[in-house]
Amino acid sequence: MGLLVIIFIQASFYALLGLGYVLIYRATRVLNLAHGDLMVFGAYLFLQTLIETGGNVPLAIVLGLAGSALLGVIVYEGVLRPLAGYPVAVGVLATIALGIVLRSLTTVIWSGQTRYPAEYIGELGRPIPVFAGLSVSVIDALIILVAAASMIVLPILLQRAAVGVSMRAVAENALLASQRRINIHRVNALSWALATGMAGIAGVFFSLKVRLGPDIWYVGLAGFAPALIGGMDSLRGAAVGAVIVAAAEVLAARFIAPQIALAAPFLVLLVALWIRPWGLYGSREELERI
Amino acid sequence: MSFLPGTLHTRYRDEVRLLDSGFMRFWCAAGLFAALITPLALSNFWTGIANQSLIAIVGALALNLLMGVTGQISLGHAGFLAAGAFTAAALATHFNAPIVVSLVCAMIGGALIGVLVGLPALRLKGLYLAVSTLAAHFVIVVGLGQYQNAASDGAGFAMPPPSAFGFSISTERQWFYALLPVAIVVLLIQINWLRSEFGRAWMAIHHRDVSAEVLGINVARYKLYAFSASTALTCLCGALSAYHTGFVSVDAFDVHLLIQYLAMVIIGGLGSLLGAILGAIFVIVTPHLITVAANAMSPLQGMGGKIFEIEIGLFGVIMLIFLVLEPRGLAGIWARVSAYFLLWPFKFRAWES
Repeated sequence: MGLLVIIFIQASFYALLGLGYVLIYRATRVLNLAHGDLMVFGAYLFLQTLIETGGNVPLAIVLGLAGSALLGVIVYEGVLRPLAGYPVAVGVLATIALGIVLRSLTTVIWSGQTRYPAEYIGELGRPIPVFAGLSVSVIDALIILVAAASMIVLPILLQRAAVGVSMRAVAENALLASQRRINIHRVNALSWALATGMAGIAGVFFSLKVRLGPDIWYVGLAGFAPALIGGMDSLRGAAVGAVIVAAAEVLAARFIAPQIALAAPFLVLLVALWIRPWGLYGSREELERI
Repeated sequence: MSFLPGTLHTRYRDEVRLLDSGFMRFWCAAGLFAALITPLALSNFWTGIANQSLIAIVGALALNLLMGVTGQISLGHAGFLAAGAFTAAALATHFNAPIVVSLVCAMIGGALIGVLVGLPALRLKGLYLAVSTLAAHFVIVVGLGQYQNAASDGAGFAMPPPSAFGFSISTERQWFYALLPVAIVVLLIQINWLRSEFGRAWMAIHHRDVSAEVLGINVARYKLYAFSASTALTCLCGALSAYHTGFVSVDAFDVHLLIQYLAMVIIGGLGSLLGAILGAIFVIVTPHLITVAANAMSPLQGMGGKIFEIEIGLFGVIMLIFLVLEPRGLAGIWARVSAYFLLWPFKFRAWES
């Protein structure tokens, strides 16, 4: 039972990241390998606000989210927009380069020291026993809540809201969408902002639960495993993938060896790619034509 | 090698020759001579940097073969370097193998890894291939970390000082004269691959694999050739660097190393041998030049511990600039500059090669 809850929390965390990868992929057809660094940036902004305001948690969370989202827009306008129309590989390599720029920036600004933002929030981070040897902290509950909310809100947004319909239109055919007077750059920037904002939230939760340092970008990078397992353009797939990856990771850590857990998401990913390259719910890319 | 009108051959043998004109012969001899006297002109420290560059050239040429020529993105090359280094370390530690034996074994092992990684790659393209090779990188590194914890004291393996054919290689200068032939041989092998059946098949796959198949190229087989050739050379590079550094630890083979090698082929110019060489030298030497420049400028000395981070950040910025502004890289700049001087006083030629 306890194991199930741990898996569920981990899966919520991965879902937040995986959904971001999917949103970005749908908007710009790019696998954003800088996602982990955008996540770290949001987490540091959160920490900075906590220190400045003396523990104002809601404000800090909002600022962490907003800062990441704003950075997402800047990244889209500055790097991805000029690269539109280039081969996929160029976009991926550009996000790698972007990632190292962001990483060195965060290290220069906030130093490479490991921090524990949980110190600043007092009682909130303490685990509360729920029943029979099972304790959940407010943070854990919040992670699950936010992940569940985004799992419910995002599909509705994409299906019903005008903005969501434009997003889908741009994802399907950018040229046609622009001819229907959709401002594709604004829509794409919004997708990026949503995705990086969610990454920022994930970063905040991770820094509260575990630790904060420039090296946790690695955790954010692992978030592409659920997105790929589920299929790069499927929100539902990202959620299912998150559960699979989280289960593999937690079970490997519990029953085999903690070090293996680091590689577990990638091992699962390799197997999944071998069996079903386009993911569980993803659509097959292009028809083979000459 | 010459595309300019004016070099006409009357015999097939002349077409095959690498040094087909007096101009080429002169400049290759001059280049070789310059390379040979380099360590005599440099201090011990900078000779060491030159050695690192030579090793990196081997690795960059290997990565270029896969990414630039065949068009298969690989983000797993740091893992393959680790595999090569650990093969050498294991052979040297457990079996006392001499350097030549462990280098050859590293290459054979590398070719096998290439087939293993290449097999799934037959089904995957573009993005998915990039991701699966990145996943392979993490799996290899974690696996080797386990081995390192089990087989050594946990910190890593110390490599014995190598000796080959009765010569012991210990000083940086000796290393330079040992590494230079290796790099030249790897370069010659690649030149000949690229202008033979292999190179043509790989370039066809790069442009469009479906049409390559229609042309009668066995795409699966040539992709596997490309993968195993590239990983074999990468493992050679890893094993060489293991001996040169004298120490092997899995911590050295992180994503940063991968980014360095990606930067080499991107900054150099994807698909170009000259680009891979220039890129490797650029990536290895530039950080040291930045350090020298920072030490010379007194206002920057306060930055102290942050200089490493700034270096890496600059690196990313340079990579971004090249990706956005000059996708053909240093080789593209070189081509543009040399075309300018060749054509002077004209501005451009009517046809583009």
